[in-house]
Amino acid sequence: MKKPVIEFKDFSFRYKSQTKETLKNINLTIYEGEKVLLLGPSGCGKSTLAHCINGLIPFSYDGEIKGSCKIASLEIVQSSIFQLSSQVGTVLQDSDAQFVGLSVGEDIAYALENDNMPREEMIPRVYESAKMVDMHEFLNHVPYDLSGGQKQRVALAGIMHDDVKILLFDEPLAALDPMMGNDAIDLIDRIYREQKKTVVIIEHRLEDVLYRHVDRVILMQDGQIIADMTPDELLLSHLLKDNGIREPLYITALKNAGCQLQPGHISNVYDIDLEPYRQQLIEDFQQTLPSQPQQQQEVVIEVKDLSFGYNAHQNVLEHVSFDIHKGEKIAIIGKNGAGKSTIAKLLCGILRPTHGQILLKGQDYMQYSIKEIGEMIGYVMQNPNQMIVKDMIKDEVALGLMLHGYSKQEIDENVEEALKMCNLYSMRNWPVSALSYGQKKRVTIASILAMKPDVMILDEPTAGQDYRVYTEIMTFLDQLNKEYGITILFITHDMHLAIEYTDRAIVFSEGTCIGDDSVFKILSNEDIIQRAHLKETSLFTLAKRIGLPCDEFTEHFIEHERMNRHE
Amino acid sequence: MNNFIINLIPGETFLHKLSGTTKVRLFFVLIVYLIMSFDLRLIVPVLILGIIGLISLKPKLKSVRYIIIFVVVMNLVNILLYYLANPHLGMLYFGHETIWFQFTDHYIVTYEEVWFLLSRFLKMIASFLISLDFILAITPSEFAAGLYSCKVPYKICTIVEMAFRYIPDIARDYQNIKVSMQARGVELDPKKTGLIKRIKQNILILIPLVITSFDRIGNISNAMDLRGFGKGKKRSYYSEHGETPNDRKVKVVYILLGIFVVAYIIGRVFFNVSEVWYPF
Amino acid sequence: MNKKTTLQKFIGVWNTKTIVGVAIGAALFGVLMNFGSIRIFTNTSLTTAMIVPVIVGGLFGPVPAAVAAGVGNVIADLISGSGFWFDWSIGNAVLGLFIGALPLYGAYIEDGIFEIKHMVIYAILCIVGCAISFGLVTPVFTYLWYGGELTITLYQSVVGSISNIIVLLVIGIPVLKVLASRNSRGQNLKAE
Repeated sequence: MKKPVIEFKDFSFRYKSQTKETLKNINLTIYEGEKVLLLGPSGCGKSTLAHCINGLIPFSYDGEIKGSCKIASLEIVQSSIFQLSSQVGTVLQDSDAQFVGLSVGEDIAYALENDNMPREEMIPRVYESAKMVDMHEFLNHVPYDLSGGQKQRVALAGIMHDDVKILLFDEPLAALDPMMGNDAIDLIDRIYREQKKTVVIIEHRLEDVLYRHVDRVILMQDGQIIADMTPDELLLSHLLKDNGIREPLYITALKNAGCQLQPGHISNVYDIDLEPYRQQLIEDFQQTLPSQPQQQQEVVIEVKDLSFGYNAHQNVLEHVSFDIHKGEKIAIIGKNGAGKSTIAKLLCGILRPTHGQILLKGQDYMQYSIKEIGEMIGYVMQNPNQMIVKDMIKDEVALGLMLHGYSKQEIDENVEEALKMCNLYSMRNWPVSALSYGQKKRVTIASILAMKPDVMILDEPTAGQDYRVYTEIMTFLDQLNKEYGITILFITHDMHLAIEYTDRAIVFSEGTCIGDDSVFKILSNEDIIQRAHLKETSLFTLAKRIGLPCDEFTEHFIEHERMNRHE
Repeated sequence: MNNFIINLIPGETFLHKLSGTTKVRLFFVLIVYLIMSFDLRLIVPVLILGIIGLISLKPKLKSVRYIIIFVVVMNLVNILLYYLANPHLGMLYFGHETIWFQFTDHYIVTYEEVWFLLSRFLKMIASFLISLDFILAITPSEFAAGLYSCKVPYKICTIVEMAFRYIPDIARDYQNIKVSMQARGVELDPKKTGLIKRIKQNILILIPLVITSFDRIGNISNAMDLRGFGKGKKRSYYSEHGETPNDRKVKVVYILLGIFVVAYIIGRVFFNVSEVWYPF
Repeated sequence: MNKKTTLQKFIGVWNTKTIVGVAIGAALFGVLMNFGSIRIFTNTSLTTAMIVPVIVGGLFGPVPAAVAAGVGNVIADLISGSGFWFDWSIGNAVLGLFIGALPLYGAYIEDGIFEIKHMVIYAILCIVGCAISFGLVTPVFTYLWYGGELTITLYQSVVGSISNIIVLLVIGIPVLKVLASRNSRGQNLKAE
């Protein structure tokens, strides 16, 4: 007999500050020992649902509740967040914010400290929990020395003490690079099996979660549950495309080739039976698609044998050389600490090389100040909130020009042009507070474009965004590149971004450049994939299993997708 | 984040290994002790202890050298200013003065004045050394635990601890925002821009910094609520180890010292014990 | 909104959010105290840290502002290693009560409310607050605890007050204005 642990019955919730209900008439039962994925685009209400499960609603968020929600037989309106948190352990999306202790041990102990547990009892339990997630050798480490994946492990260890029944993961992949993402999904799966918990994962990155088995997928849209089915059933339906969720790439590839998908183990690229599709895939691959011929234009940035170190003993970057041509779209890839952001800072002139040269349009850039370089190379930070200063869109875009002492007329002209390029002209007099995340991002890009730089560097332009916002931002950048010939450098660990939207990848590892080639070639090089913490995409796995050349197969796929996008 | 003087992970020396409770209590007793008088007989032993303590902590010379020089120079300047403003401070404190020599009619130098300024200077330096020892010896978590042991509500102790948790993050944001503003044309070099303009340009850095810093509040407080922060009236500390034999020895010292401090203050208030000492 | 009494507004609601807010405020104060100073001459500089209690006050009330300023000062001393000077920490905390009083006179930064009359009250409170905290509280403690020459101590306090007033007005008001308008909901937005 299956025992329900989460039960929503005709449940609705409206936040106090909002007029409309965020959750509408939810009916959902999750049974003990299930592993469930809660899927949906941003704003669909999946985080609100999570808040109901862990008790933040109604504890921290005021609002109106209708219907019933029982967690481990506790009605949420009648129980406290403390009661609920001994049943539900939550790993939040932002593993940095969740890390409240000053060392790993302290953070794992946090819940025990709040229970006023004597220290002698605490120490063995902290060790135990840390061991469960392989962090027992790091108990004395400070958060600043840890990677995103390690912080997440600590967060998981920190909620394992009480005999929690339910583990809730709120967007566990958002801040992780591809390989860490795989590790996280693996770890969740292991804990699920070893500890016999009920697991609820909230994510929009379907393919990455399906790397390990899940029992059920619950799809949400506009505050309602629109599907509750097995992963296989979901992949066979049209629901993903209709609701702004990215299909697994290999599924799209199969569909593009015109294959009729059959039920049965299709949710994992390693398990899927490919025999029925083999012929069709090969035939489709042999058809040539109209590809866009590319010709190289003049070099705008030349990096020559560049080395850099913060002190004399140790170099962060060593002997790096590459050229950037006008109109290129380039991905700068590498795991954290590989030297990606250092190279960006060097290009912007914030740091200067200790050895070697950077030439901007053939001129040695040491003669320019940061401010002057800023007119040639624009830098867009990851978080738009860290860039936006003014309250009015127009003023924000004009800021850089004003600081550079342009005349009133020039400012007006440039601002107007930049706003038009970014489709913001009609909103020029709006306050920044009225904008969505994607629009704010566009404002920061416009504010850099107004300076008419030759090259734009974007740091993780889509970090933490769902597929819809991601597509919005990336399509827009693609247009800027095509229509206005803006050279764009992406600093990213998102391979999908690199594959779909860039022509070339420069890969860093441990301060050296370990690859500089077309994205397809890079991603078919296993050595580079390993060293740069990337992972093989499912397209590669598919191609390998069919016996087609991986890089050409991916290239073919991308051409197909580009065609689809233009239709 | 190695630019900060305070450590996050406890070190290995005698002082490092004391518990947070011991360190905080000893520190507070010593600070009150130093504040209560200008008597060099009382100050000099603590000054010497402070120097011994500093050496025993084996700090990185580079990181403390600058700050020590800065504080010493600042205090020397201060007592010089005091002298220039009033060459008769000795008279004020000791009730008599004996001329040593004089520059002008106004600027005479008395033995009492010199003695007082010396007392004041050494008192400040001793206070500084005790603070510096404390900072070098303690971790923020031990600080919180120590405050808690002095009956400070744990919600306040938490503030001290958490502020440290987020200082490196905020410092990094600050650097990033500053850099991106510089790339957009903010000029912070005092040689190139005037004061008013620089003040205005600092506003451009402050606004995003303030917004992104306070944006964290929601996520962090959720994380804390979910792990039971504020559940009970009491709380324990993982970083606070139990009393060691050394802690007990130091405890005897700070209790005796505490009793002396109370007695001395009572003596000063009710029995006219002098706060200064002039041996000559 | 449920009506809060003036006393409640003064003390603030000490829930987890407020505690985190004060801690972040103290951290920001510490960072700005150490990095965010504007040099005037080689030895003198203005610190922008003082606007932090204003914002904490705007969000949570004067007492949280005072705690953020006081603890922030202790923390700034801790990270720079320049020793604890509680006379100044207390002065800063007292100033926090004045400059963080925004909700008491109806300036709700979070809801986008910061009008001319609020600016005037804010400016007056800044000046009065600086005069009381650095002109009275800190010098009294300095004199009592560390002794010293009264005119010099007072003179240093006056310099401290004036530089803080400059920061609080010249930087504080524009920052508050922008923060308020960043928080106000856009009304009747039309694409042009």
